[in-house]
Amino acid sequence: MRILRNISFGQYIPRDSLIHNLDPRIKILSCLAIIVSLFLITKYSGYLILGSFVLFSIIISKVHPKFVFRGLRPILFIIIFTLIIHIFMTEGKVIYQLGFLKITQEGLVKGLLISFRLFILILATSLLTLATSPISLTDGIERLLAIFKFIGVPAHEIAMMMTIALRFIPTLLEETEKIMKAQISRGADFESGNIFNRAKNLIPILIPLFVNAFRRADELAIAMEAKCYRGGEGRTHYRELKIKKADILTFAFTIIVTVMASIMF
Amino acid sequence: MFIHIENICFTYSLGMPFETEVLKDINLEIDKGEFIGLIGHTGCGKTTLIQHFNGLLNPTSGKIYVEGVDLNKKGVNLKLIRQKIGLVFQYPENQLFEETIYQEVAFGPKKLGLSEEKIEKRVREALKMVDLDYNLYVERSPFSLSGGEMRRVALASILSIRPKMLILDEPTANLDPQGRDNILSEIKKIHYNFGMTVILVSHNMEKVAETVKRLLVMHRGEIIMDGTPQEIFEKHANDLMKVGLGLPQVTECMHKLKAKGKEVYTGVLTVDDAEKEVLKKMKKPLKR
Ligand SMILES: Nc1ncnc2c1ncn2[C@@H]1O[C@H](COP(=O)(O)OP(=O)(O)OP(=O)(O)O)[C@@H](O)[C@H]1O
Ligand SMILES: [Mg+2]
Repeated sequence: MRILRNISFGQYIPRDSLIHNLDPRIKILSCLAIIVSLFLITKYSGYLILGSFVLFSIIISKVHPKFVFRGLRPILFIIIFTLIIHIFMTEGKVIYQLGFLKITQEGLVKGLLISFRLFILILATSLLTLATSPISLTDGIERLLAIFKFIGVPAHEIAMMMTIALRFIPTLLEETEKIMKAQISRGADFESGNIFNRAKNLIPILIPLFVNAFRRADELAIAMEAKCYRGGEGRTHYRELKIKKADILTFAFTIIVTVMASIMF
Repeated sequence: MFIHIENICFTYSLGMPFETEVLKDINLEIDKGEFIGLIGHTGCGKTTLIQHFNGLLNPTSGKIYVEGVDLNKKGVNLKLIRQKIGLVFQYPENQLFEETIYQEVAFGPKKLGLSEEKIEKRVREALKMVDLDYNLYVERSPFSLSGGEMRRVALASILSIRPKMLILDEPTANLDPQGRDNILSEIKKIHYNFGMTVILVSHNMEKVAETVKRLLVMHRGEIIMDGTPQEIFEKHANDLMKVGLGLPQVTECMHKLKAKGKEVYTGVLTVDDAEKEVLKKMKKPLKR
């Protein structure tokens, strides 16, 4: 039960800050720019610039760094793993030898660069989800995808599916917890036994969860129909996205920083 | 003493941006054989409190003892505690999952590792306690039942563990008046016939008040009143109104009579009692 409660995945933290008030499209595109440049950078100095840029954004977003860094936890293992692989597996100038394991200078450099890359990637994307409400995030994605409508991308449907999924993740987690507690009270045990038994023990959670989820989906569909939902055609928006001066300036600044980081240094 | 609670506090999402203190310094003692109603406005922490009784939630601070065993001590066998304290969740029909009602009710005993015969005996016994006919029901799918029947099956699936205490979270929510009365009378029977300790959680004052022997009133995470329903309705009527809990209609009526200068006893719970009380105080008894 502890596990469920600690998922801070995509949790929006409302604040009044420059980052929060940016147009979601700008935030998504800036994030993409950072990700692209991460894969173009070859030197430390580039990472330094990009890393400082992301840290600077975290600070002005007024979101406590604790929450941003929490996003790193699940992939810490992957980062450490790649670091170790690189350090020991790269051929080159040996700087330390321990039995058959040797650490090479090239390996160390490469490992650190890759770790930085993952590190900054996660920080940037968790800041995006922490500082953008799910609604405006999907709004932004819908508008951006609309560009590709001419090749048949169903932008509205994708955005609607994302909105509904995001909306129901917390509900499902809550419900899972409730059902788990109820079954524990009835004598179920989720903490002991071998893998096979544990998987079998999940049945009392999964069946009620699915039954409820299907029922809820049914109800939602009826409710949407009752409200005359008929897809994206001719639909207007309650919140109109407008690009403001601050958006243009921020985006320009992001582009300058990312281009500088990936090309000049 | 069965359950003993000392100064427990509880906060959801401790250390997160949305942390909320839900229980504030609760002290409580519950004896064997009591019949308790726990009432309070929605969101006051009733469900949170009862989940502490069988160790589903751990208090942020404070102690809970069940039959003298400290639930938060390392190495306590919580499974054993959960056998003693049967907790029926709100909308328990949403937890059914087996193919037949027999399997559903047998789930708990099976987990206890009992033999087939013993399991069958317990299923019969539990279904009888909730007034479902064994032969008519055992082979049916729990999903083919009506809401009220599902709820009884869910109740039976707890009773088959043979708990010493039964806690029911809003057992009458979303039932029609008849279904509600049926469930309440079954709970009463279980208490009186089997001597079961029962805690009934609800925000419906009316029915709970005339069912239980002791009433706990919660408000914003604290227990603000503790006593027999009569006492509470007689002495604390105004405070109850203040925390947004109405009185049962008859009780309110008696309070209004008293406010008009009639010296009636205001701790009555049922229409019959009210009638007797009013007749007693009338100068000229009515002829019937
Ligand atoms: N899992 C949870 N995480 C965070 N907050 C919670 C959680 N469960 C309940 N709460 C909050 O704790 C408070 C008390 O909730 P609780 O469910 O105990 O109330 P209740 O008295 O049972 O209400 P009701 O009569 O509506 O069932 C509420 O304000 C609720 O929002
Ligand atoms: Mg509740």
